[in-house]
Amino acid sequence: MKKFWLVFINEYKRHVLRKRFIFAVLSMPIFVAFICGIGFLSVWIQYNFKPVGYIAPAGLLENAQAVPEESDQIFHSVPFVQYTDEKAASADLKTQKIQAYFVISPDYIQTGEVEYIKVTKTGSNVEDDFSAFLQYNLLRDKPKEVAQRILDGTNLTVRSVDGSKEMSVDNWMVIMLPIIAGVLFLIAVNISGGYLLQAVVEEKENRTMEIVVTSVSPSQLMGGKIIADMLVGLTELAIWMVFTVFVIKLAPSLLPIGQSAQINASSILLIVAIYLPAFIMIAAAMGAVGATATEAREAQQVAGLFTLPIVIPFWFITAIMFNPTGQLATWLSIIPITAPISMPLRAVFTTVPTWQILLTIGLLDLCAAFMVWLSGRIFRIGMLQYGKRVSLKQIFNRRTLLESQK
Amino acid sequence: MSSIIVEHVHKNFGTVKAVNDVSFEVRPGEIFGLLGPNGAGKTTTIRIILDIFKPDSGRVEILGGPMDEQKKNRIGYLPEERGLYQDIPLDRCLNYLATLKGLDSGMARTRIDEFLDRFDLADAKKKKVKELSKGMQQKAQLISTLVHQPELVIIDEPFSALDPVNTQMVKDLLREQRDQGKTIIMCTHQMHQVEELCDRLVLIDSGQALLYGTLDEVRRKFAKPSVLITTHDALPETIQGVGDIEKVNGNYLLHLINGAQPNDVLKSLVEKKITLEKFEIALPTLDEIFIEVVNKQGGVR
Repeated sequence: MKKFWLVFINEYKRHVLRKRFIFAVLSMPIFVAFICGIGFLSVWIQYNFKPVGYIAPAGLLENAQAVPEESDQIFHSVPFVQYTDEKAASADLKTQKIQAYFVISPDYIQTGEVEYIKVTKTGSNVEDDFSAFLQYNLLRDKPKEVAQRILDGTNLTVRSVDGSKEMSVDNWMVIMLPIIAGVLFLIAVNISGGYLLQAVVEEKENRTMEIVVTSVSPSQLMGGKIIADMLVGLTELAIWMVFTVFVIKLAPSLLPIGQSAQINASSILLIVAIYLPAFIMIAAAMGAVGATATEAREAQQVAGLFTLPIVIPFWFITAIMFNPTGQLATWLSIIPITAPISMPLRAVFTTVPTWQILLTIGLLDLCAAFMVWLSGRIFRIGMLQYGKRVSLKQIFNRRTLLESQK
Repeated sequence: MSSIIVEHVHKNFGTVKAVNDVSFEVRPGEIFGLLGPNGAGKTTTIRIILDIFKPDSGRVEILGGPMDEQKKNRIGYLPEERGLYQDIPLDRCLNYLATLKGLDSGMARTRIDEFLDRFDLADAKKKKVKELSKGMQQKAQLISTLVHQPELVIIDEPFSALDPVNTQMVKDLLREQRDQGKTIIMCTHQMHQVEELCDRLVLIDSGQALLYGTLDEVRRKFAKPSVLITTHDALPETIQGVGDIEKVNGNYLLHLINGAQPNDVLKSLVEKKITLEKFEIALPTLDEIFIEVVNKQGGVR
């Protein structure tokens, strides 16, 4: 057991202390920051903060005030200037003192009609800002709660008959959770599997296999590597999560995740119970691919094939959402390779029978154990075939399998 | 108790008989040569001994029984396929491999430092393994084979990639290990190294053990009826019991006729007042025996 931990610690340190890992970890925040920067820039380019005029009928928008700015607001609002007649507004538009003006219809309260006059292209922020300006000033005299109620509109909550599930516009994170978790799972599996695959191939490329297997058992070696590489993937993911939380804290308005989300503990539990064996199953399969390949690049190409079936449920996401008890959704959530994404998603939209959940988890546990066993076997067959590929015939040859078990 | 017992071991890979009824025994405290041409089955035999491969039939005992996880710590192995982790510093690589052999990290560090000094690698210990020369990597591998002070050392071609100075140092090291009571199996086809170092040997070809015994036994078995003499006197045309006379490197090789004994030849030479500087039974070199045996078996591949 001590040697298992030695392999584990060495494997973990070997990856985490490499420059390649540090670059991989930093690449994600840099990429996200870059995308955000580009997004910010493209929005900013389309915005125009030149004043906008308005002509309001008598009695409407008297003593109008600018909408108070929130502390975390990134862009300022467009300043609005009141004109008493259209002539003056039009003159200012021509001299480009203002970028546009609105003419509010005298029967606005009944019709909601507003005319928007502009000469050239205006900023894309003008309409939204004017809408907010109108709403704020029209509701300014109302009690705060009433104003908020009017602004929020309807809030429909759908509950399951047994009361175990509930969904509303406010609680959209419940739907997002399995999707986000699924994407994170995919990323983590790819990273960890990639590291494991690389580790096994490197062991072959470095010709260290023979020394190592005369020091530790193949199961200690593979076990240590699988767990270490799993943790390397999770470390990467955890660093990104910390980065995300940091960004949310820094600028909550950038990401809506921090908003009210009532995530059920049972959803988390289901995700963990399904992801853990699935993770081991896929990582072990990638390790087996590494043992059959001759070089890292070749193994990486083959490993890509594993990601494909995991993603299948995303293609049928609408079918799962609209008919979570249908045959397709049920089967996808039971088949081990598609279950990690399908089952948590299905569980959001329907009450999945307990036997189905237990069957899925049971099958995944069995498959994980089988894959670790099989990868150990393939590893034993492939470990000393330096520069040679392990053929499918060899893997499934009964004699070779028996040989590897001896 | 023997360090290793190999009894009637067979191992086939498909239709190829890699090891075919091989038997031998390695005694404690000896340097044992496992010889054979390329592809003879030496490495497969070693891998069977180390439990990397399972034999199809036959029995293998190592350090008093079948191989187990505990015994792995008592064995040092330098495989034919050399390899170290290329992307990490040398000391970290050696430390990891030493701890896998049961040493605690502190003890491993102390012993590795001693070996690095001895092998003149102390300055390279923080370098990445891939930055070291082939010879330096070879020495580093020897360190990882010996650092945990194994009772049994199995080394495959220990002198490849070493210059004469380092070859001599490794020879001294192997002798030192033997003197400390360690058992060493040396797998090689460099016969002069075997003659210098090995106490006993087995020669394998086409998966079969063709020769087995002490170095002296094997050479005597292949000795031709001839004697080697060194003298400054001119030899008479006829010597009792001698057929042909051949001059070899300043010596005379006297081929005896059927039934003649070296004693008769010596007596005849003394009677003829020939001053002898050297008189010995002409034993063949291992190289000659190797070529003869392997050629008889079907040729060197």
